[in-house]
Amino acid sequence: MTKVLSLLWLCGLLLAVPALAADWKVDPAGSKLEFIATFEKTPVPGVFREFDARLRFDPDKPAGGRLDVTIRVASADMSIPDVNKEIRGKDWFDYSGFPQAEFHSTELRRIEGNRYVARGTLVLKGVKQAVEVPFTWTGSADGAVMEGEFTVKRGAFGIGTGEWAAADVIGADVKVKFKVKLRKG
Amino acid sequence: MLRNASDSWGAPAKVFHWVMAALILAQIALGLMAANWRVSPAKIELFFWHKSTGMLILALVGLRILWRLANPTPELPAGMAAWERAAARLSPWLLYALMIALPVTGWIVNSASNVPFRIFWLIPLPAIVAPDEPTADLFGLVHGGLFTLLTLVLVAHIGAALRHHFVKRNTVLIRMLPGTWRTP
Repeated sequence: MTKVLSLLWLCGLLLAVPALAADWKVDPAGSKLEFIATFEKTPVPGVFREFDARLRFDPDKPAGGRLDVTIRVASADMSIPDVNKEIRGKDWFDYSGFPQAEFHSTELRRIEGNRYVARGTLVLKGVKQAVEVPFTWTGSADGAVMEGEFTVKRGAFGIGTGEWAAADVIGADVKVKFKVKLRKG
Repeated sequence: MLRNASDSWGAPAKVFHWVMAALILAQIALGLMAANWRVSPAKIELFFWHKSTGMLILALVGLRILWRLANPTPELPAGMAAWERAAARLSPWLLYALMIALPVTGWIVNSASNVPFRIFWLIPLPAIVAPDEPTADLFGLVHGGLFTLLTLVLVAHIGAALRHHFVKRNTVLIRMLPGTWRTP
């Protein structure tokens, strides 16, 4: 009897753990990762077509969660053919040298309501920088949507080197904007 | 005198002529430099000024044509051959047409290239065609062809003005200069 009870208790525990902090997977169809640069003070949007994220997250107990994002840098598309040719080079993203960018959270916490922040490290073009990624969390019956934006200095990552480092023609700030549809899994 | 008369250009017509002459010469220099510069921030800067100036010229030529239509055109000197009169009447309109066609084809190139752009950092320029590389390439060629035509017409225009002044010794050139000039 004790054995049966402990077995039941164990089963319950196993079932309860994923309910506390579920693992989430990206639904690429409903997700978008944008980066918005400026040319002559005019916003020029770009997008990373291929990225993936692994998230362990309980909206009620964010502290135990973890977010890991990988971005295929070479999937960048600024929808201007000349610019797309240019950004693959060494002065910009350097596709061949650094094909992948990553974000790894060190801390997830709630700000208030459905607003959270993920603190962590962004690795881009081989440069590691601490970043804070604020996001909102909207749960639904079949999944959740994580949405947010933050600004990075392109110079900190060596995006645009040499004569491109000056920020008067191509702005220093790049806005990163994401909307990620997640499914439990 | 603000309005044109049968023998003189009014001040607005002269301002349009010389301001736009200066803009067009600057525009030609900017366009040639922008097109030939190696890819660099300077190239983007040159294109920025070329596009902004082009849109300014397009706006000004609209006002200029309205002003021209609302005013009499000073008469040509007596004793000009029929072909000279025809050329003199036609060439300003050919120049106006080019002052419209060059910015518009440039605008098409910019739209087809999908480059977001604000005129002088201020006014967002809407796209007039969908993004498409072959369209951008085609209208880039048309833009260059029209530039060649503009150069030829400008050479004829300046050459004719100098010929009126130095060879035919009439007032056609000086009556466009600042100040009051009348056909004696």
